[in-house]
Amino acid sequence: MTTLSSRTYPPIAARKPFIQSALGTLLVLPALTAIALLYALPLARSLVTAFRDSNGAWTTEHIARAFSLYGRDILFSIGVVSASLALITVISIAIAGYLVLGTTPWAVRMLRWLYRWPLFIPFVVSGQLARSFLSTNGMMNGVLVETGLLTAANAQSFLDWRGLVLTFAWKQIPFVTLLLAGAMAAIDRSHIEAARNMGAGRLRCLFNILLPQAAPTLWVGLILSLVAMLSVLSVPLMLIAGNPTMMTSMMAHRITYYGDYGIANALGLFSYALTAFTAWVYLRLTLRREATA
Amino acid sequence: MRTEALALNDVTIDLRQQRILESIHLDVEPGSFTCLLGPSGCGKTTLLRAIAGFTPLSRGDIRLGSKSIAHLPPEKRQTAMVFQSYALWPHMSVGDNLGYPLKLRGISRAERQQRVAKILARLELSGFENRAVTQLSGGQRQRVALGRALIIDPPLLLLDEPLSNLDAAIRRNLRGELRRLQKSLGITTIMVTHDQEEALQMADQIVLMRAGEIVQVASPQHLYHHPADIAAARFLGVDNTVSCEEHDPPSARGATKFGFRTQDAVINMPLNAAALTRKGRVTDCLYTGNGYQVSLSTDGEELCATTASPIALGTFATLQVPESALISFGPDDRHMPPLDRHEDIA
Ligand SMILES: Nc1ncnc2c1ncn2[C@@H]1O[C@H](COP(=O)(O)OP(=O)(O)OP(=O)(O)O)[C@@H](O)[C@H]1O
Ligand SMILES: [Mg+2]
Repeated sequence: MTTLSSRTYPPIAARKPFIQSALGTLLVLPALTAIALLYALPLARSLVTAFRDSNGAWTTEHIARAFSLYGRDILFSIGVVSASLALITVISIAIAGYLVLGTTPWAVRMLRWLYRWPLFIPFVVSGQLARSFLSTNGMMNGVLVETGLLTAANAQSFLDWRGLVLTFAWKQIPFVTLLLAGAMAAIDRSHIEAARNMGAGRLRCLFNILLPQAAPTLWVGLILSLVAMLSVLSVPLMLIAGNPTMMTSMMAHRITYYGDYGIANALGLFSYALTAFTAWVYLRLTLRREATA
Repeated sequence: MRTEALALNDVTIDLRQQRILESIHLDVEPGSFTCLLGPSGCGKTTLLRAIAGFTPLSRGDIRLGSKSIAHLPPEKRQTAMVFQSYALWPHMSVGDNLGYPLKLRGISRAERQQRVAKILARLELSGFENRAVTQLSGGQRQRVALGRALIIDPPLLLLDEPLSNLDAAIRRNLRGELRRLQKSLGITTIMVTHDQEEALQMADQIVLMRAGEIVQVASPQHLYHHPADIAAARFLGVDNTVSCEEHDPPSARGATKFGFRTQDAVINMPLNAAALTRKGRVTDCLYTGNGYQVSLSTDGEELCATTASPIALGTFATLQVPESALISFGPDDRHMPPLDRHEDIA
């Protein structure tokens, strides 16, 4: 009977792979073209430009000059971005944890409603808000002086690295929290209840049960935030007057004042390197997790 | 930790302004095995979760041993619960899952490893410490979940349908295994199930629930022969009811109905004066593996019985049920103890 059926029904899969792969190619093609033309090509060109002098010969001079001219800005950028990421991590874990584990229903509902607002405010507006909030005569100092916590003479401007860190964090925390709270809410509640039943308090549930399972999502949120912070131009331009400042400011400066694409691209290279490094760390972590799972 | 008695007093629960459990009173002996039995949605899981501390009480008290636990958060209650979905943490290995409750109690790494190895040996899972829980079979997961609950020597073990995700063969094996383990540890255990066979086989005491209330608390033997009312009887496999007639065997005074199980009724056997007898037309005859199940249409009533050989549809047949297999019910559908035995006891 088996021989009969294998004779009467020729291999079903014979024609399918071709049709399927053709269809697949067709669907992938537009996206692939867009990525190639709009992303990969400019990326390659800017990489090449970073290593070419005005005569088109290969050189590492741009890199060296970028380092000597803007080394402090590069370190400043890394510092600001790291501090922002640390702040974002701590606060988004706290908010997401409370949203999932909180026991006061009205507080949870209110927090859920409130925390998303900065998501809908563009970076430029955030920069403007931060200026009016953090400057010497800004709202924050105003309130502190009014309440007597600060004398007017001691009021100082926060429009430096602190302002940048606060603005970046304020803008990115809702985004990371949104991802993280979603990932935590997707974890079966019985996992939390089992832990509590075994004697774990809510804080331990957060750090031993929820966070390890939601960590990949947290990483994605942090890497996307890193990319956003390294690419935004408006906020550093609005908040930071002098030197050192973020790499984006310096790249814009180099291009608009000197038309110097070589050094601007060399600076861009550091941004790539920084994001690529974090992405690599992330991939290593997830791959190791998948290997053990 | 010593095993403890559990006492529920007037436990009442409302969820979203809806009464889920109404005034539950229950006493559980230390070291005993109690089954919560009842149809889907009757509140078994809710009651178990209330004992573990996941559902707040609207009224009443829960005492474990001599102290009230009703106002403690779940992590302070020391009850050990096995969830229906097992709830093993996927980011931890089998060993870490089992060791986590010990870690929470500040027990050193070396002792943890030792105790994990011991409980794995007991569950016949030796050498599984480093296995990911996602790579276990259903039965193995069930045992790891059980081990995680037992590793802290809890005073009370709570099981929510621990066997219902497993297929029939493993289930029968694990029933015996679970019962033996419980007996050897002497731990007070409460198990939720909607499978009457499971409850009858495993429990010292069965709590029959319906619509948020306790209908009956009894030993398996008593429950099987003396269900509280017709609905309870139906849930326990009493699938036939007939109205009493004059020439029927003597029953309790005032009984209006008899109930019996299909497996106790026979067809076309030599007549026995002491048995309940009904005549009817055969409407159905189904093969059941160890015989045939015959449906009879007597006047107004549909009755079922078993027989060894098939019977042609449409023929007339006589159904008999021995007196000992009859369960009497009064006009209010409540169970009435048989007359003679009742007098013996009195
Ligand atoms: N969180 C909740 N909010 C409101 N009602 C609930 C909640 N959880 C359960 N219920 C209701 O409580 C009743 C009892 O539910 P429960 O889960 O205790 O039933 P069960 O006896 O365990 O049923 P099953 O055998 O199907 O598991 C059901 O009617 C259910 O709809
Ligand atoms: Mg249930």
